[in-house]
Amino acid sequence: MIKVERLSGGYGREQIIDNISFEVHKGEFFALLGPNGSGKSTIFKLITGVIPRLGGEVALRGKPIEALSITEKARMLAVLSQEEKVFFDFTVEEIVMLGRYPHQRGFLKTISIEDRDAVERSMSICKVDHYRYKPFTELSGGEKQRVLLAKALAQEPQVLLLDEPTNHLDIRHTFDMLNLLKEWQRTNELTVFAILHDLNIASLYADRVALLRDGQIVEIGNVHMLRKEKQLEDVYGVKVNAGSHPKMAKPQLFLLPHSDEPPFAAGGFSSMFNLERDESVIHLRCSQPLRSISNGVIGEGLGWARHFCNFHVDKNYNCSNPQQDIRGWLDDRGIPAEETIGMMTAVQLEDMVMLTHEANDYSCLVVVTAGVGNAVDITAETQPEAVRRIGTINTMLFIDGHLTDGALVNAMLSASEAKTKAMHDMQIKDRLTGTVATGTSTDSLLIACTQRGTATPYAGSGTVIGKRLGQLIYQALKQAIGKYQKRMAKV
Amino acid sequence: MDKSSIRTSSNNKVIIAMYIFSGGFVLFAALLGLLVSSVTVPVPTIINIILQKSFGLGWKGDIPRNVEMIIWHIRFPRVLLALFIGAALSLAGAAFQGLLRNPLADPFTIGVSSGATLGAVSVLYFQINFLGLGTFSLPVVAILGGFVALMIVFGITRLSNRGMAVETIILAGIIISSFISAIVSLIIALSSQEDMRQILYWMMGSVGMRGWSHLELFMPFFLIGAAIVLMHHRELNALAVGEESAQHLGVDVKKRKIWILIGASLLTGSSVAVSGSIGFVGLVIPHLVRLLTGPNHRHVLPLSMLMGGAYLVLADLIARTIIAPKELPIGVITALIGAPVFAVLLMRRFRRGVS
Repeated sequence: MIKVERLSGGYGREQIIDNISFEVHKGEFFALLGPNGSGKSTIFKLITGVIPRLGGEVALRGKPIEALSITEKARMLAVLSQEEKVFFDFTVEEIVMLGRYPHQRGFLKTISIEDRDAVERSMSICKVDHYRYKPFTELSGGEKQRVLLAKALAQEPQVLLLDEPTNHLDIRHTFDMLNLLKEWQRTNELTVFAILHDLNIASLYADRVALLRDGQIVEIGNVHMLRKEKQLEDVYGVKVNAGSHPKMAKPQLFLLPHSDEPPFAAGGFSSMFNLERDESVIHLRCSQPLRSISNGVIGEGLGWARHFCNFHVDKNYNCSNPQQDIRGWLDDRGIPAEETIGMMTAVQLEDMVMLTHEANDYSCLVVVTAGVGNAVDITAETQPEAVRRIGTINTMLFIDGHLTDGALVNAMLSASEAKTKAMHDMQIKDRLTGTVATGTSTDSLLIACTQRGTATPYAGSGTVIGKRLGQLIYQALKQAIGKYQKRMAKV
Repeated sequence: MDKSSIRTSSNNKVIIAMYIFSGGFVLFAALLGLLVSSVTVPVPTIINIILQKSFGLGWKGDIPRNVEMIIWHIRFPRVLLALFIGAALSLAGAAFQGLLRNPLADPFTIGVSSGATLGAVSVLYFQINFLGLGTFSLPVVAILGGFVALMIVFGITRLSNRGMAVETIILAGIIISSFISAIVSLIIALSSQEDMRQILYWMMGSVGMRGWSHLELFMPFFLIGAAIVLMHHRELNALAVGEESAQHLGVDVKKRKIWILIGASLLTGSSVAVSGSIGFVGLVIPHLVRLLTGPNHRHVLPLSMLMGGAYLVLADLIARTIIAPKELPIGVITALIGAPVFAVLLMRRFRRGVS
């Protein structure tokens, strides 16, 4: 749709854009990214002809732009820039009607039925028709941008150039506007060529992106090229961390501000924790947030947490809405649910086992409650059954070290291996099959790290940390299962 | 939907009413201008003379020659001239305001009138026969003078800041006006006592003591200038979103701007050439019209012409009756009305904090 070849140009004698080539395809959303002064707006001005080219070719639908008259160009291409100023008290409808300028023909250039229809259509799409008689100057920033978008759409263009259209808008208006554009792009095969500041928004809305630095294109590709942290660091000069959108297959970037590492608490790793225990909860509070991975009832997955709770419930607990229950209990105790990882067990909490390993590196603290009434051999050929009796192994493991996301998963594997070995060594049997069990049907595991020191990508059995956490969990679990068996024998 | 259609129709009604009112206002002002004077001539006689002279449709035969003389050779051309000069200045003002996106722009405030004055004074003083144009030298040189002054004002504005800021244009206009009046003063100082009085009186602006010959001199430029400006009402609307955005809408900004400037300069220069510089008409009238109809140039331009014409006829009426039998220069009346309006507009701009 737009083909740019060896384009060069700038303001006056200063050449900002130097010999760049790219193509925007029909019907796609193409975003131009890059730091301030990288030449994004200059490219736009060279394409629209606001400033003259010093070299190269720009073609619109295969026609060189110099062969198109200004009016012909306006019928194909509309521009929406950052908030525009409008002079005199024109009404919203009059502003949108300006978009019909390139379509009006004949000597008198009167307003035709097509003009009226196009204006009505774009006003209703942009949801500005209900204040059509309001003066433009009295609108809020978000309303103004929508009116200007309606004006651009009234041009009935095939290509829409957007120069940071959401710059002055709050997130709701930003998303409203981009959703609207995205829909128009899909339904009308509109080609959108946008300059965007926000890389995360670009990732969500663009089909392809071009990264610009000092008037040159660094890379053109789909949005997944935004995962190249090093490249973004080079271009923007800030530290970024690339992650993924939790609900969409799109990269999202996280900025890393400069910050000092939190100081070590005097008195070793375990002094960072404050343990409170009664018959209904084990509550560990850490003096700083910890990077955590878990399958807890709340706070599951990867995240950060400061409070770690293991709640006791009755054997016949009705587990229809455990999340809501835990939130209620946390509220009662004044613990912030958003910073908490919560688990549940029917095991008596006084049978808890806590072990620590203080060392120069990778100090560990483990807290375990164990019940093996539901022990299951995961390899046995039986149908999976819903919980028969509450009885579960809940493990909380805290590490003073910096583990990457991968290392956290690795640590979960190591912890699992240690648990299975403990079950085996204590000859815990699956009641149905009589074979040695590998765990219980509702085990919970949490691993939380301080993220101090150098990051380690591994926590398997071939590493110090892997071995240490395996040994600690194995010991703690054996003690805890021992306590459980003793209690069951008494009953 | 009901509500909105009511509102459109009411807006249309306002505009239709404005056209009817303005047309009636023009007729009323013209008749009043013909009627009120030292010698009172009854309205039917006035109408009869005009119809007889223009279309041969008179029904009365017994009109004294001196009455016919007064109406047809003195008052009627004077009223017509006031009407067309007022229309020209208002249209030029509206065009400058739209083009510069500046409600304070007016042929007088941005220096075009001064440039035209210098051109006209030079022709009068040096008896120039420009390119062998004879009597048409006066309007042509005045138009050129206005255009050159405008270009210098734009040059100063552009060199002092890139954005053609509203206040900068006005300031540059004042600089150029002051400079030009110094030159004009020099010319006047060098001229004879009698010439001096004439030039001074002419400079203050008047539509009196003009005859049909002045209308003949003025009308071609007026018609061409008005046609050019009126044809650009869509472009003037589009320019309200800024020159770059107007270009994105398909307006050939460079070309259109020059055409609008030529049209407005034709109107201003030829007006100054026949009636001297009459200030603030182009400022007051379009502003008033915009208040009533909104800023759409499709209506602002023609309505400004009608209202401006009637306004100047009435201003002339006041000028020649208020201290009768002596006459005030019409420019005095328009300045007395216009300058306070200009001040109010300026204060409103600053209070609103618009830059």
